[in-house]
Amino acid sequence: MSQIQIFVVFSGIVLTVLIAWYFWFAPKAQMRVAVSASGAQEVAVTVKGGYTPDVIVVQKGRPVRLTFTRQESSACSEKVLFPDFNQNALLPEGEQVTLEFTPEQSGEYGFQCQMGMLRGKLIVE
Amino acid sequence: MTVRDPVCGMEIEPQSAFANREHMGQTFYFCSQSCVDQFDKDPHHFVMTSATTGFNPERTLTRIELPVADLPFYKPVPNLEAGLRALEGVHQVTTNAGAGVLQVEYDSKKVKVPQMAEVVRASGFQLGGTNIKIGIESLRCASCVKFIEDELKSTDGVLSATVNLATQEASVDYLPQKATLAQLNTAIEEWGYKPRAATSDAPVDKQEEAHAREYRRLMNKFWFATAVSLPVLATAYYQFVPYLNTLSMDTLRVLWGVTALLTLPVMFWSGSDFFTGAWSAFKHRSANMNTLIALGTGAAWLYSTFAIAFPSVFPEGTSEPFYDVVAVVIALVVLGQALELRAKGQSSTAIKKLLGLQAKTARVIRDGKEMDLPVEEVLVGDVIQVRPGEKVPVDGVIVEGSSAVDESMLTGESLPVSKKQGDEVIGATLNKTGAFKFRATKVGKDTALAQIVKMVQDAQNSKAPIARLADTISGYFVPIVMILAVWTFVIWFVVGPQPQLVYALVTSVTVLIIACPCALGLATPMSLMVGIGKGAEHGILIRSGEALQTARNIQTVVLDKTGTITKGKPELTDTLTTDNGQWTMEDLLRLTASVEKVSEHPLAQAIVDGAQARKIELSEVKDFEAIPGHGVSAKVEGRNILIGNLKLMNREKIALGELEEKSKSLADDGKTPMFIAIDGKAAGIVAVADTVKEDSAEAIKALQGMGIEVVMITGDNRRTAEAIAKKVGVNRVLAEVLPEDKANEVKKLQIENRKSKIQNVVAMVGDGINDAPALAQADVGLAIGTGTDVAIEASDITLIKGSLKGVVTAIEVSRATMTNIYQNLFGAFIYNTLGVPVAMGVLFPFFGLLLSPLIAGAAMAFSSVTVVGNANRLRGFKPKFSAR
Repeated sequence: MSQIQIFVVFSGIVLTVLIAWYFWFAPKAQMRVAVSASGAQEVAVTVKGGYTPDVIVVQKGRPVRLTFTRQESSACSEKVLFPDFNQNALLPEGEQVTLEFTPEQSGEYGFQCQMGMLRGKLIVE
Repeated sequence: MTVRDPVCGMEIEPQSAFANREHMGQTFYFCSQSCVDQFDKDPHHFVMTSATTGFNPERTLTRIELPVADLPFYKPVPNLEAGLRALEGVHQVTTNAGAGVLQVEYDSKKVKVPQMAEVVRASGFQLGGTNIKIGIESLRCASCVKFIEDELKSTDGVLSATVNLATQEASVDYLPQKATLAQLNTAIEEWGYKPRAATSDAPVDKQEEAHAREYRRLMNKFWFATAVSLPVLATAYYQFVPYLNTLSMDTLRVLWGVTALLTLPVMFWSGSDFFTGAWSAFKHRSANMNTLIALGTGAAWLYSTFAIAFPSVFPEGTSEPFYDVVAVVIALVVLGQALELRAKGQSSTAIKKLLGLQAKTARVIRDGKEMDLPVEEVLVGDVIQVRPGEKVPVDGVIVEGSSAVDESMLTGESLPVSKKQGDEVIGATLNKTGAFKFRATKVGKDTALAQIVKMVQDAQNSKAPIARLADTISGYFVPIVMILAVWTFVIWFVVGPQPQLVYALVTSVTVLIIACPCALGLATPMSLMVGIGKGAEHGILIRSGEALQTARNIQTVVLDKTGTITKGKPELTDTLTTDNGQWTMEDLLRLTASVEKVSEHPLAQAIVDGAQARKIELSEVKDFEAIPGHGVSAKVEGRNILIGNLKLMNREKIALGELEEKSKSLADDGKTPMFIAIDGKAAGIVAVADTVKEDSAEAIKALQGMGIEVVMITGDNRRTAEAIAKKVGVNRVLAEVLPEDKANEVKKLQIENRKSKIQNVVAMVGDGINDAPALAQADVGLAIGTGTDVAIEASDITLIKGSLKGVVTAIEVSRATMTNIYQNLFGAFIYNTLGVPVAMGVLFPFFGLLLSPLIAGAAMAFSSVTVVGNANRLRGFKPKFSAR
């Protein structure tokens, strides 16, 4: 094996580790939601190529109010689904759409676009 | 002070105005010659539409009632009233807390309603009224926005109005009692713009509009990328193109440099979604289809540019570019997305059909005047006139008149239902015979139809459990493909043939491009959407993807007897006379029905109905007496009539003779016989029974034909139950089950051992409310009948049409949809597990076969289109036999 080949193999190993770490193992930034004066936990989520914030931590037993604003026209993200709460909403471009529900049990619940390309997580504590 | 040019609307200083004109006692100022010219042509037009001038000085005070939503009942609101009085032009303000309105007398010349509305809002109160969005066609100039707003605001009854240039929509808060949509539209037309129908409020239309816009956007991007692809392809395959193949390497290199620049806008305009999407996903530590396309095309572009810029760095023959990959792949994938969008649009037709049931207009009576209003403008409390042949626009209660209404579209009741004063009517049903007026109780999204639509939409977006597998896979899919691409590169580079670098790059780019996580992600939701929509079209409301998936595997169907297999309403079935021929059947029925007309017993009504159906005139009744637990006695046509059970006859010592035997055989058939004695002598028997629905037997046979065991459950005695079961062909009967035990029986059926440890999938079919616990216990609960009440809540599937055939259709829909989902998932899975290795070059050592990245791009683009297309195939689904 020539030097350059060894270098390529080595780079391949490093890249593999990096990809696996970055997408799977690295801890994700979480967004903890404060309880507002009205008792609801309000979060504004921007939809553009993904959900920002995408990991949302809320408390159980209190209503969660998520306001989505979709800032892209790609049809992929036109709906947001919370399958575990049987909640979904159509997100017209540029409009604020609010979803409200109360998670009663702690756990991790995914939310996503219709075909699952964009994903987020609602962590109930 | 500035004035406004009435033509163009520009704010100008009167002193510096270009010109002025006097018209109808007022002076107008203009900014330019062209404005003056326009004004001179038709001065009146501009004066009429001027938003700021009211030119009738003789106008007296106007009165308006402003509904305030949260007006406190118990205490006065001084600051609100004072605030309104402080407005110039407001003469008097009276609060009517009981009615929740403020009565304001004002000079319409000096003050406008929106100003008052502003004051009310500033004082912390909510103004009642309706909001409507009106589209405005080709609204372009920003200054016109203000004029249209002002024009709308000066329309009587408008509380506030804003025009959004970006969405080309006006949003108007107004009092529907004062203003109508037609007036609002006129206000917009005055400025020379065309209002679109206010349909943009419906989410389906809105989505469709957005899809159309997105489709045009994608197609523009596609055509641009295609246009660039052609010259790029020519230079990439220069060996085969005349003239180009005569050029020297140096000239070609210059040409390639030009194509490098040409492909940049393809990447960053046509393919901008891929790059921005990939970057946003990357920031969220996630990766998706965008990541793969961006990486693939980005790598190809960088390598190519590097290769032509520094050809000496690369071994001989490897310094040729791949700009064709960049342009063609982006063009193909964008085209794929556009086609996918097209196909998706067709999937939502079911909702549109449901919405199509809705009446478009309502004939509302306000202030004693009839007016045709769009149905969106109808308010709770409005009185609405409905004529024969018209649709009932919203839900309400009849206040005047009577009619027969066809409610089959919502409740499944096939016969028109007679309605009189005080009865409820449901929006979207069809008035048949008479005219009536009703008061609206539910409008907009509260109507029964709107709720059904909402339910179907929710279900379409719910998840089938099977989708979780696909979800889990696609969560890991993209990073895995990236790792595979890395190792494809490494392996080709280390052990591949010459030129290694080119092979390594092309294969890894192909791997990135061919992998299609979209197909996996789309497989379930698209079919679910079409399948649930298809169900709704056939009167089957499936509440969730889970119910749809479970229904496929139903092994046992438990049918409630009363109201499910049978009509749930007793009917007169037999009239028997004694053999001596003293009484004809008609006499017997006439006398019996006359007595029973007075009775309140539920079975009595069946006899009366039976007599009326045979067109028998009833006589007058005297001395009616109910004998509890026995029957009734009364005098009709001067004769003493006794109607009742065996106990009554024994008590009155009436000899029954052969009637006793006949009554037993009637009871064996599941009927309820009643003895009749006239003037102390046995005269005959009438029997009533809950009769079986016409198509129950057929439906049960179909279920058994599908290999499903059918069980009947009932609280009735075994004899009656067996009789009915025999009639409809059910072999297994659970009789004498107390209502609270029904759920338990279902549970027993679920764990009943059938050689396997997996529990039986049991469906329960009942008529909703009383069967609720059993419906909940069953794996799939199907509520039969009415689509308007709690039944929807209690069940997984609601059969709007009363027929049991709906059960068959529901299972058929489920099976067809699930098969479609399996096809999609299988296709998507096979595509990726075959496509990726081939792209990696596993066939190369054996057949020398390698995939071109261009083919990979095409395959990727069309694999998701195929999935959507296959889901759309479901639209052709037809049940074997349709419910009535």
